[in-house]
Amino acid sequence: MIKNSIKTAWRSLLRNKSYALINIVGLAIGIAACLLIFLIVNFETSFDNFHKNKGQIYRIISAIHTPQGINLGSGVPLPTAESIRLDFPQVKQVAAIMLEFGAHFTIGDNSQGQTAKIFKEDDTFYVEPQFFDIFNFGWLAGDKKTALSDPYTVALTQNEADKFFGDWHNAMGKVIKLGDKKGYKVTGILKNMPANTDFPLKVVMSYSSIRAKGSDYYDNFKDWVSIYGSNNCFIVLPEGQNIAQFNNQLTAFVKKHKPADYAKDGMQLQALGNMHYDSEVQLFRTDAFSKSLIRSISLVGLFLLIIACVNFINLATAQAVNRSKEVGIRKVLGSNREQLVIQFISETLIVTVFAVLLSILIAEAVLPYLNHLLDIHLSNDFILAPPVILFLVLVIAGVTLLAGLYPAMILSGFNPIAALKNKFVSTKSSGVSLRRGLVILQFCIAQVLVIGTLVIIKQVDYFRNKPLGFAKDAVVTVPFQNDSVSLTRINTLRDQLLQQPGINKVSFSSASPSDNMGWSTDFKYNNSSKQTDFNADLKWADVDYFSLYKLQLVAGHIYAKTDTVHEYVVNEALLKKLGITNPNDAIGKNLELFNDKTKNARIVGVVKDFNVRSLKHDIPPVIMAAYKSTYQVINIKIQPTNIKESLASIEHLWNNTFPNNLYEYQFLDTKIAAYYKSEEQQSDLCKIFAGIAIFISCLGLYGLISFMALQRTREVGIRKTLGASVSSIVYLFSKEFTVLILLSFAISAPLGWYFMNKWLMDITYRITLGPGIFLLAIAVSIVIAWLTVGYKAVSAALANPVKSLRSE
Amino acid sequence: MIKITNLEKFYRTEEVETIALNKLSMHVDTGEFVAIMGPSGCGKSTLLNILGMLDDPDEGSYVFNDIEVAHFTERKRADLRKHNIGFVFQSFNLIDELTVFENVELPLIYTGVPSAERVKRVEEVLDKMQIMHRRNHYPQQLSGGQQQRVAIARAVVNKPKLILADEPTGNLDSSNGNDVMELLTDLNEQGTTIIMVTHSEHDARYSHRIIRLLDGQTVMENIMI
Repeated sequence: MIKNSIKTAWRSLLRNKSYALINIVGLAIGIAACLLIFLIVNFETSFDNFHKNKGQIYRIISAIHTPQGINLGSGVPLPTAESIRLDFPQVKQVAAIMLEFGAHFTIGDNSQGQTAKIFKEDDTFYVEPQFFDIFNFGWLAGDKKTALSDPYTVALTQNEADKFFGDWHNAMGKVIKLGDKKGYKVTGILKNMPANTDFPLKVVMSYSSIRAKGSDYYDNFKDWVSIYGSNNCFIVLPEGQNIAQFNNQLTAFVKKHKPADYAKDGMQLQALGNMHYDSEVQLFRTDAFSKSLIRSISLVGLFLLIIACVNFINLATAQAVNRSKEVGIRKVLGSNREQLVIQFISETLIVTVFAVLLSILIAEAVLPYLNHLLDIHLSNDFILAPPVILFLVLVIAGVTLLAGLYPAMILSGFNPIAALKNKFVSTKSSGVSLRRGLVILQFCIAQVLVIGTLVIIKQVDYFRNKPLGFAKDAVVTVPFQNDSVSLTRINTLRDQLLQQPGINKVSFSSASPSDNMGWSTDFKYNNSSKQTDFNADLKWADVDYFSLYKLQLVAGHIYAKTDTVHEYVVNEALLKKLGITNPNDAIGKNLELFNDKTKNARIVGVVKDFNVRSLKHDIPPVIMAAYKSTYQVINIKIQPTNIKESLASIEHLWNNTFPNNLYEYQFLDTKIAAYYKSEEQQSDLCKIFAGIAIFISCLGLYGLISFMALQRTREVGIRKTLGASVSSIVYLFSKEFTVLILLSFAISAPLGWYFMNKWLMDITYRITLGPGIFLLAIAVSIVIAWLTVGYKAVSAALANPVKSLRSE
Repeated sequence: MIKITNLEKFYRTEEVETIALNKLSMHVDTGEFVAIMGPSGCGKSTLLNILGMLDDPDEGSYVFNDIEVAHFTERKRADLRKHNIGFVFQSFNLIDELTVFENVELPLIYTGVPSAERVKRVEEVLDKMQIMHRRNHYPQQLSGGQQQRVAIARAVVNKPKLILADEPTGNLDSSNGNDVMELLTDLNEQGTTIIMVTHSEHDARYSHRIIRLLDGQTVMENIMI
């Protein structure tokens, strides 16, 4: 029985190759998209779930109370971990870890005819040994309990050790120098980190190194006010510990240690299991993947699958008339309805199995591009993973039922007498209205995706082109180590740079006007005894910064040319926060930073607001002053005509000035464009998804119109004999689909508006949703549908009526 | 074998009610070969469908082998049908996706005959119909006469007590038509009851008895000598 069903199903597919192909290809593309989405979701939800204690591990994060609400931050003051250990004996394990972003390492030296090698490693951390008790990362050499106890010891991952020393087996006991200063002895080799961890450790230095006397951070281990965003504290709570209760204890802990003015900068727990999904609290180097994003893309995956199933249902019910004779015969010969349902379901099963096999091939082929596009690491042997196999089995079962059951019920329900005579007046019309409904559903989904894509493209475009309040073009930023020796050389370097023909301006600063690294603080205004209840961003820069970036003053003048803080310039946003409406009122008032009299100076100018962060955020208050010892970036304005020569001379001069360091440069506009990486990724993903949705829908439309053309050959023949023109026939075919698409637009436009409006609400500088996007979306769908339908419609209209009438 | 009494069947569309069978009564004995004749629209096909349990009557009684089947459910009718009745159609109604062998095998599958037994019986009947050499061909590769032989083979493979033939020679030339009629006669002589709807007086002469219908009623019965 089953064998017979499958045999008939297989042969019936072979007989209707073009429909089978449309079905399989459409389904395969839908399933492949769904599979890839599943892989992404599976990957993103697997982060750090391989640690044995994962349910008990928490990060202590800061919760800073501001008038606008609570701001959560990843970092805590440096003394936190040690004090938790003392104050909370019930906490089983505590470990501090701090990121040392962009560290440079020197291996070997220039003596004895050798040249030192310099490496830059962004994934460098200071870590307490307890960290490796909490988190299960494997060791290849060295003892995880003791390797990182002593100051100036370091563990490297296998790859990193291979990179530094050729082969990790040779690495133990060797010394690497951080910057060109202190040497660190290699005391351990770690296994390479898996891709699905938010701790991308590569170089792990002992945390005791920064607590040792002589370290830059030594004094800060008594500082409870400064919050270091890169300094995280992890703890393992005993089982059954009440979290709310512990958070209350943390509030008491903060009160005990922090000065009264800063007790509002509280702390709270964040579960390890939430870390990867919370985009509010920073991760070290990886990006959070919010639960809502997971939900959105899962929904998109499901929708693509539904669109593909709709094709199947539409084509199967449209073909029902062709199959009716077979149904009739089988019923006459004694088949009951269940047997027929099984037969038609097995046909769907065959199509689905083929589609799934094809989708695996598609997914394998596309995976490298997806990895590149989203900057993730999905492995090509995903197909062997049990969850993936389970997923595919569920897809086969789900699609077979979803797409196969309805046509099977319709086909098997035929009255045998009518079926043998091809008489389906009643079922046919209901089938048509169902098909119409499904086509509307398909185009609805496709159009929502198209609207979403257009909005994201427009927003990203806006991000790229909105004036930021400073000149970002043709500016190269070059970082340098800001130790005292280097700082003595920068004036000479400036003079040398300015002598180069292609270089217009040079300025030294702590950061570029818009930068992903910031330094902010509260301050005292106008001799007030109290600190402000908000923070201002600090932009330390020399006076050339203003002309290089074309910053505009709205009142007063630029501070004088000095190396230490004598005068301040602030921005409009700061005045607004202080409630000052006339900028001139601020001129001459005092500002004091860090409760430090040497940082007490007058405001001499007010600068027009410029975008300090990405356009997703507001412009914060900004304080600017000259302060040479903080400078770590050279801003160089070059002539756009001979960029190559200018870059070469900058590199040459820089290397002469800082021979022991690693040269790097970045164009400022490239750096700013990178802020919108996730939006660009979303935009690319959306383009792909919308394209797939449209493609599958059109594939179905093509199948339907081919079928309609076949069914209506006779009608077209009669119309033509009666004098119908070709265009009127084409119109006949296109009319229905145009109406369906307009109907689906009536549903998708409000949906698209709702979702995209919600998406835009999170962005400070956003586009307005005008009618243009919606008109474009409907125009695109109609044009694509016409193109799909057009060929078949025209060929049906051009057919010789004599032939079509005779063949009936 | 068959006794119908005051059988009625109506077809309703939105505006018109058509009476297909109007208080029709008749009986067929086991082993008979009956031809049903009449102009288009007289109710021949409706009668054949009801006799074949493909359709149920609106009123009246239909006793098949002493069982009243007029108001059987579809499932029960299907069950009775597949064990007792074979069909031969004017347009053959073979399944295009199945080979000759598989088409003939189909009724055996639906009555749950084991595989080895099926092969034996299909080969037997194909042999008898002289189309064994075509067993692996598909219907569209055969001539009309051959297709009708396959259809008859399929109708008899289950050894039904009754064969219902709906204009079995309608799509055939006279030579092939005569062959088919000879086949049916042979089957009848071996004990199978046959009821055949036909337009052809020539074909009707093969039967024992002709029932003539007009407007859903029996108008005349001829006994053939």
